[in-house]
Amino acid sequence: MPGDAEVVRQVLEGDVNAFESLLVRYRVYVLRIVKRHVPQHDVEETAQDVFVKVYLSLSTFKGKGSFSRWIASIAVRTCYDYWRKAYRAREIPLSTLTERHRRWLEQRISDESDQSFNERSSQREDREVLDWALWHMSAADRTVLELVYLEGLSIREAADLLGWSTANVKVRSFRSRLKLEKLLRGLTEQGGKTA
Amino acid sequence: MKPWISEKESLKVAFRDTYLAREGAEAGDRWESRVMGRVREIGPLSPLAKFWPAFERTVWRLAPVSGALILALIALFRIMAQDLGYDYLSALAAGPQEQPLTELFELEG
Repeated sequence: MPGDAEVVRQVLEGDVNAFESLLVRYRVYVLRIVKRHVPQHDVEETAQDVFVKVYLSLSTFKGKGSFSRWIASIAVRTCYDYWRKAYRAREIPLSTLTERHRRWLEQRISDESDQSFNERSSQREDREVLDWALWHMSAADRTVLELVYLEGLSIREAADLLGWSTANVKVRSFRSRLKLEKLLRGLTEQGGKTA
Repeated sequence: MKPWISEKESLKVAFRDTYLAREGAEAGDRWESRVMGRVREIGPLSPLAKFWPAFERTVWRLAPVSGALILALIALFRIMAQDLGYDYLSALAAGPQEQPLTELFELEG
């Protein structure tokens, strides 16, 4: 089976169908990245966009570094573009959090989770509060928070993926965590209702 | 000052787990065929890859016509040379001084 560099060479020489082997090889990898960043109903379309961008950008892959890392960078940037467009089009659903969420958050913050606390509802609250908080951030802050705080990437790794300076990512990482903290404090203090 | 959120480990773990759990969501298979459909619509990437096949097709399409034209021109020149009663090659060999232009083109009576 030809390696990635060989398949890229074939595609750049005009063999369009050779691209399918890259698609098959990396579909799961790209889907995993996109699923983390983008809402479920837009995962497939965003994954399509990623591979089309990969195809159009193949001539820029110089062989330095791994091909998977290069594809991951395109996937992350495509997800960031998704949120930029969503924010611009004001397609951000704002949810109302309830007393249930406030209690859940207080328990998490106090690190005194009740042993009888229902695990399934806890996971639901985790997801709902996280989504609510992320929707209140800019596309850039959201993306950096996901990469650095949630995925555990270093500032440098996140900057490489996004194609941004490390200074920019560092500032956004700090700012996004402050914003998250402010949102969660607001949730505990005010009951968490949003307009 | 570091945000306190960085120090709340259980909160971070909860958020991280829920974030990573999204990977388990289902996605269909048809999107892959749509990718290849879009890629085929875009077509080959290399400008040379687009040029040479088109060039070859054009050359081969014109080859019979070109061949016929060349043969026709050769025949025409031979007929014209015979009609003129003029040995062009001998005239070239003789040189310009021995063959004034008037004689060359039979301009004098």
